[in-house]
Amino acid sequence: MRSPDTAVAHRAPIRQLLAKELWDIASGRALWIMLLILCPLVGYSFFQAVSLYKEASAAAVDSPVLGSGLAPLDGVLVPTFGGLYLVATLLFPFVAIRTLGREKESGALALLVQLPYRVLTLVAAKMAAIFGAWVAAVICAASALPLWLALGGHLYLPETLDLVFGHVLYGVLIGAIALFSASISESAATAAIITLAFTIGSWALDFALAGQTGVFGWISQLSLTQTLRPFEQGLLPAGLLLGILAAIGGFAALAAVWLHPGVPLGTKCVRSLVCLAIAAAAMGVSTQVRRTVDLAEDRHNSFPAADQRALAELREPLIITVHLAPEDPRYVDLRRNVLAKLERAMPRVAVRLATSGQSMVGSTSEEAYGEVEYSYGGRSDKSRSTSHREILPLVYALAGRPIPEPIPGQDYPGYPLLADGSPALAWFLGALPLLIVAAWWWSRRPPQIPTQLVKSGGDI
Amino acid sequence: MPPSSVPAPVLLQVEGLAKRYGDQRALSDISFAVHAGEVLGLIGPNGAGKTTLMEAIAGVLAADAGHVLWRGTPLPLPRRREFLFYLPDGVRPWEDQYVARVTELFATIYGRPDSVVAETIRALGLASVLRKRIAELSKGYGRRLLLALALLTPHPLVLMDEPFDGFDLRQTRDVMGVLREVAASGRTLVLAIHQLGDAARVCDRFVLLAEGRIRGAGTLAGLRAQTGSPAAGLEDIFLALT
Repeated sequence: MRSPDTAVAHRAPIRQLLAKELWDIASGRALWIMLLILCPLVGYSFFQAVSLYKEASAAAVDSPVLGSGLAPLDGVLVPTFGGLYLVATLLFPFVAIRTLGREKESGALALLVQLPYRVLTLVAAKMAAIFGAWVAAVICAASALPLWLALGGHLYLPETLDLVFGHVLYGVLIGAIALFSASISESAATAAIITLAFTIGSWALDFALAGQTGVFGWISQLSLTQTLRPFEQGLLPAGLLLGILAAIGGFAALAAVWLHPGVPLGTKCVRSLVCLAIAAAAMGVSTQVRRTVDLAEDRHNSFPAADQRALAELREPLIITVHLAPEDPRYVDLRRNVLAKLERAMPRVAVRLATSGQSMVGSTSEEAYGEVEYSYGGRSDKSRSTSHREILPLVYALAGRPIPEPIPGQDYPGYPLLADGSPALAWFLGALPLLIVAAWWWSRRPPQIPTQLVKSGGDI
Repeated sequence: MPPSSVPAPVLLQVEGLAKRYGDQRALSDISFAVHAGEVLGLIGPNGAGKTTLMEAIAGVLAADAGHVLWRGTPLPLPRRREFLFYLPDGVRPWEDQYVARVTELFATIYGRPDSVVAETIRALGLASVLRKRIAELSKGYGRRLLLALALLTPHPLVLMDEPFDGFDLRQTRDVMGVLREVAASGRTLVLAIHQLGDAARVCDRFVLLAEGRIRGAGTLAGLRAQTGSPAAGLEDIFLALT
């Protein structure tokens, strides 16, 4: 007879919990239906992208200049993974919510929180299952990559992995939001509404506040879709990466706070504030991390290599005052072609808009509108150009440095390809869905049951 | 509880437990003790507060006031699951899973040997449904599975909410036999039961609950003495006290 007052051992094998979460997410229909919907979305995106790439390549085959503008990342990979982005935004929340929502609705949560695991461990296991489910989706989408190679296409591994990594992060971030939503909602439907408010709300932010400055500009940066853009450009920004990880951790921590039904509401609120403060601090720190690696093969996010090296040696702050409205296309060009690259290339760059909003047009500074002032080392100069070919010599002149000699052999050759993407349709609309259905069927097989259990009969 | 001249020590003590849902008072100043090795019945009609009380004791519901003590020592909420296991009523957990997988999960997590798993499955007659999904189980088999999960835990005290719900008369009596064996093995059971006849057959002591308050507590003999009805059944006593 066991002692009647012995406490149950606190620690239990984590492997069992992980297995339980994985078979829980795999046994539902949501994951498999999402994967099946993903197939035509990614497949058609890939087919369309290859077709358009072929049209563009037809003109570029005999012209190296035109050919240098054909990059597989922009032309094929980003559009193909666009289908995955749609699935992450609109469908994956339902899969992720299921990891907790079903347990809340069925009453299993009361059993789950009594298992000998810390709440953080329970949430970590659920996040692991969400990660596993999303990786399955990414693998399905990434099956376009070997198809592209088989068609004769070119892949540059660093930028390709960067793009895939960005989509993995984006999906896990959505999953963390979904888990948090499920933890604070009584039903899966409510959790879905909350999560979609985040994801679709991001689209609204993109449309309504793009190009704004000040508070609106800051709010627009909260859009989830902004997290994916740098990865689609072949960039690996350390600050953004830290910020996304902080957000994922923050949402997971909030889910842990709200998971246990036995904790009083006031305690949950206090703990939530602590989590939010820590996550906000971490995200604040991440905004100060400016290190960004340009992994794109065509280096379109950077100046020519010689300029990059020369600019990196300019240690004093470069202050740029822009007399343009943020919604002005010239500012957009300047931002993309020069300012963003300068911020990545130079250690200390400060950009400020002389005035903000549309009120600038027609204001007293009308004559100065369009000017951009560059100040370095106590000297300054102005320009209206949005091209680095004019601005970089200006900066070198301010710094008293010579214009660096171009490094030969650095030009991006471009990869035009006249290929037919039709075979991809057979994969994405036929073979891959069949494989997914087979995996679904395999996942639903009954477990092996020891003979002594089956033969144990019953008293009742 | 086996007859003995020495009363079993108090295992669990509930002191001043209270819970409100908005303006509604679900529990009010609930205090009672659970002795080691006994089968204690929380008796009361639907809405009496039995489930709320069990959830508050188990720590899956935040109580507004009160304490739970284990052998006289306060048992904070995070540590309740080390001593108590609460089996809720009306749940159908992990419906997409096979019965065998869920029983294996509990057995593995709690490190239960195969012999205990086999004995539990045999005792509750689950062998024929091990390959079924939980969603496919009848209400009775669903209840058996939940009981099996509770019995697969090693906790010294198990709280069960309506453990006989979904069983016919014969099955109820069989499950009572299983629970009596469990109690005889040294575990303590607290059962919330609204069928007074069932409670009278399986429980050693009773806590009578109505409208969130305790109306009486003790053995059947003690309650008879309390009401001055030496031949009264549990139903009569309950009516007299509420």
